[in-house]
Amino acid sequence: MNKISSDKDLALIEGVARVVAIEGDVAWLEPEQSTSCGGCTSSPACGEKGLGTVASRLAARRFPITDHPGLAVGERVVVGVRGDALMKAAATAYAVPLMALLVAGGIAQWAADNDGITLAASVVGLALGLGLAHLGAIRLRGVITPRFLRRAGSSPVCHLT
Amino acid sequence: MHNYLSLMLSAALVNNVILARFLGLCSFMGVTTRVDTAVGMGLATTFVITVSSMLDWALEAYLLQPFGLGYLRTVTFILVIAAAVQFTEMTVRKVSPPLFQMLGIYLPLITTNCAVLGVTLLLAEGKMSFIASTLFAFASSLGYSLVMVIFAGLRERLVLADVPRLFAGPPIGFITASLLALAFMGFSGMGT
Repeated sequence: MNKISSDKDLALIEGVARVVAIEGDVAWLEPEQSTSCGGCTSSPACGEKGLGTVASRLAARRFPITDHPGLAVGERVVVGVRGDALMKAAATAYAVPLMALLVAGGIAQWAADNDGITLAASVVGLALGLGLAHLGAIRLRGVITPRFLRRAGSSPVCHLT
Repeated sequence: MHNYLSLMLSAALVNNVILARFLGLCSFMGVTTRVDTAVGMGLATTFVITVSSMLDWALEAYLLQPFGLGYLRTVTFILVIAAAVQFTEMTVRKVSPPLFQMLGIYLPLITTNCAVLGVTLLLAEGKMSFIASTLFAFASSLGYSLVMVIFAGLRERLVLADVPRLFAGPPIGFITASLLALAFMGFSGMGT
């Protein structure tokens, strides 16, 4: 996700993905950029394919889209999500469990003043927070799903030396 | 309560992980091209630092210190951080696959982020209570996120600025980072 475009007054974060499979009305895509530099579309071929490599992580991040106008396997497309979606997603996945952890730990410390009990309460708070994050993620489902925007051009080569 | 607030303020601003301790500089330069990616990376790092500091505190207090295994601290902490990242990745994927598709990109970067190991080692040396240690780790990572977001905002504006060709890109980024570090030095007078 590296560019911004505007769609019906909402900024969209764009990213390039490649179609890897078509199953009926559903096209499965893999995101292309997966490195911190963000400048290399050859990242899937950078290391050996296997557990923990970039290629296997890309496979794990495969996602479906349904609104595709006759895409074929191997095609590169530009997909987009709403600009505020990443922040909402990050807040839901990380901030909610963290707040629950800290609140539970704080209450336990205030009530018991014992490191072991505070640790146990923090773990319970973290588990509760993850449950709340799960509920929040269900509500966010429509917002954070990538949408097909347009077909992308040919793949640029790696320019890193 | 006042002590905890001072501890958090000191960890986040006065002894900022990036601009005072110079940890996590690779992600600082690599993931700050856009504000939203900086927020994603910052929150993911905050989560991992806080969770791994909890686990490391428990290991230090109940295993390494009582059995005199302090020489294994660095290796153990690295293992715990890698496990915490893996746990976070699995949890986010389980909690919401769409969230994982959007945020999963940042997690592998955290495994090799020296800020995470640096904060946990500082905590081990500090010998704090559990709650103080957790708050210190949380505040340190909030300071990390704050600087990431500020720097990403500056870099977004730099893209539109008329920068001399030789300074375009990373050079002007480094100069901006040094000015930001100078600005954060102003916090060092707080509490004295």
